[in-house]
Amino acid sequence: MNCERIREQIPECLAGQLDAASRERLIEHLETCAACRADLAELNVVWRGLEAMPQPEPGRSMRSRFMETLEAYQEGYQEAQRRQSYTGSARAWWHGWWPARPVWQAALAALLVIAGISVGRYLAAPRAESSPEIASLKGQVESLRQLVALSLLQEQSPSSRLRGVTYSYQISRPDTQVEQALLYAVNHDSNVNVRLSAVDALAKFAANPEVRRALVDSLPVQDSPLVQIAIVDLLVQLNDTDALPALHKLSADSQADEAVRQRAASAADKLEVTK
Amino acid sequence: MLEVRAGNIARLEVLFDRHHKALFGYFMHQTSNRAASEDLVQDVFFRILKYRHTYQPETSFRAWMYQVGRNAHADHASRRKPEVAMPDDAAFTSAETPADRQMQNREEADMVRRALALLPPEKREVLVMSRFLGLKYDEIAAILKCEVGTVKVRVYRALRELGDRFFALGGERAS
Repeated sequence: MNCERIREQIPECLAGQLDAASRERLIEHLETCAACRADLAELNVVWRGLEAMPQPEPGRSMRSRFMETLEAYQEGYQEAQRRQSYTGSARAWWHGWWPARPVWQAALAALLVIAGISVGRYLAAPRAESSPEIASLKGQVESLRQLVALSLLQEQSPSSRLRGVTYSYQISRPDTQVEQALLYAVNHDSNVNVRLSAVDALAKFAANPEVRRALVDSLPVQDSPLVQIAIVDLLVQLNDTDALPALHKLSADSQADEAVRQRAASAADKLEVTK
Repeated sequence: MLEVRAGNIARLEVLFDRHHKALFGYFMHQTSNRAASEDLVQDVFFRILKYRHTYQPETSFRAWMYQVGRNAHADHASRRKPEVAMPDDAAFTSAETPADRQMQNREEADMVRRALALLPPEKREVLVMSRFLGLKYDEIAAILKCEVGTVKVRVYRALRELGDRFFALGGERAS
């Protein structure tokens, strides 16, 4: 065996990971080769020196920060699952009620029309506002949610900002301030995870063409390929054909990450089809 | 990890407890910056949560975690100016390791640390993986997406260069 092959095994030998047969061959070679012996002796000194290097320990706050993020994520995840199971059971309920035979379907439809007309007439009759207090309470809860989401989004710690993004999911009516705060997070947050979650959260505000335009504008300035891919996917999900020029440009941008370029090209293809 | 992938998110706590110190050590060698390394560890575990469905059971969790870690570090490095890989003493002196307990010759330990910091990042990385993280060659090959034979050669070359730099530093000091 030549010296080069033998020397490549030295680190494994020093780490005690070399199998018995290879170790025997190595020792046999070393007995006859002074140069390899010298190499082993030198590398042994450095290897032992590495062993003696103190290993850095993380700070104590790291675990609590992780637990905070995990809990926030879990909250969001459970909320999403609750919503999913609700839609699932609503669908099952509907299937149970809708008759299979066309005759009965027509009858049920006619019944619904009559019921609709009667209810409409009843509701159109002039009378006093039923419960302004409830409406105002609902409004207050909503603005409280917006306030919490906004203040969390401005926090120093990335995990708090993530909670802010998760919180914004609970706001039922789109609010310009929250929308702007999320857009700001997408473009300027120093933490990639916050930016990614903000992109996901913005899907809710996608009815607003300004939001869609802002997302498209953000594409070339993002420095994280992950965020760019998330935005591209969202634009496809929204079927936003206005994004086509930007996607074409991104797919041809030699500075962009290769995975991003590929994703942009395939997104552009999908949107072209639906155009 | 399979439980986490199936939706039992709370189980990630166990994986964090088991691996976060080693992962932090890996980032410390790559960035020489305590705050950035702590952020990167958080980032990796968040990505593990977010992309848990992409985990393939054939890969060891450790190998997958360091793959995610390398991507996170690449993103981090692309956002900042190139780092000067020269750790200060404070960064590598832990409270639990008295300065002169483990090494008889403190000067020598200091020289090894300086020599390691002077290595090109890709060589330092492969040495850190093999020496400090206790990763096996097949795991390193999975992380770096190369053959086991290539890892063998890379580790040897990195150690050889470390040796050359170490002895050169020793020569400077002696002269």
